[in-house]
Amino acid sequence: MTDTEIYVYSAILLLTLCSVLTRAGYMVFGDYLPLPDGVRRALRYAPAAALTAILVPDLLPWREDLGPVFDYKLVAGIAGIIVFLRTRSAVLVIVAGMVALWTLRWLGG
Amino acid sequence: MAADPSAADLDAAEIRRERIAAFRHGVQAIVPALVATWAWGLVTGVAMVKSGLTESMALAMSLLLYAGSAQLTSLPLIATGAPLWLVFAAGSIVNLRFLIFGAALHPYFRHLSWPRRLALGYFTTDMGFVLFMPRYADAAQKGTREQLWFFLGAIAPGWLAWQSSSVIGIYLGALVPSSWSLDFAATLALLAVTVPLASSRPMLAAMAAAGAVAWVGQALPLRLGLAAAVLAGILAGMAAERRARGRA
Repeated sequence: MTDTEIYVYSAILLLTLCSVLTRAGYMVFGDYLPLPDGVRRALRYAPAAALTAILVPDLLPWREDLGPVFDYKLVAGIAGIIVFLRTRSAVLVIVAGMVALWTLRWLGG
Repeated sequence: MAADPSAADLDAAEIRRERIAAFRHGVQAIVPALVATWAWGLVTGVAMVKSGLTESMALAMSLLLYAGSAQLTSLPLIATGAPLWLVFAAGSIVNLRFLIFGAALHPYFRHLSWPRRLALGYFTTDMGFVLFMPRYADAAQKGTREQLWFFLGAIAPGWLAWQSSSVIGIYLGALVPSSWSLDFAATLALLAVTVPLASSRPMLAAMAAAGAVAWVGQALPLRLGLAAAVLAGILAGMAAERRARGRA
């Protein structure tokens, strides 16, 4: 193995350890790490918060040197939300959003 | 006592039927989200190869890590030869949410043996968690057969969709021009999953706060903005919940 291979595979193994610890850690050792009921209730907000936080940087990018930037993806995303509220279909959201993005880019250059 | 064996058989059949029904409900719940999983996997597969990993490295990464955002976060670090501790720390922060998920899921699966809990934890997905919690958050009894098999049904298709699309992405995805912005299809699919979660005022408050912090927090390194946004969302949701209860 070359140095690069050793480095990359070491990184992959370390990240695998990180995956196992974060995902299964509480599941395995949970009995020794009791959580009060209030905390458990609080955790119900975690998934919606995480999903929103994953989406926002895509729709409302913020460049290190420029600050907030406008992207056509925001308009396409809003179009997607409107389509979802009317149809409740994930596939139509993707179709409408992609068509909106391509059209806007084509019109705007 | 001649009736006993057939009664046991009946029980076994009943249990199996219950398992299959719950598993099927889990699968039905996750299917709409698989489009998102699939698109993400494809994008991640392409990204791994394009960042300079060989095909075998990319395959090892996908099969061992099974963590899209941690994979995407670590790629630029690995490409620039960042120190291994930094790669590990960055992956851990992006994966912090799974610790929170694990804490929430633990009461439902604590009765299982530790190897099974280890496996369930490892195969836990964002979407599996997102679908499981609202369904069983107020369940009177935690740790039922139905809950376990619903969860299995919700996470098993995710693994298949993720790994198959990643492999396709690794081998073929590089042929798709980046100008198609295929990654945006993943965003749109996630959007369709996220919007219906805004079902109550506290939940909406949590999402608004998380969105605002995530917007401003993009400048933070190591995707710390993501962790900060989750924290802000939880605090806002709790505050809104307390206010709603105070008024009631």
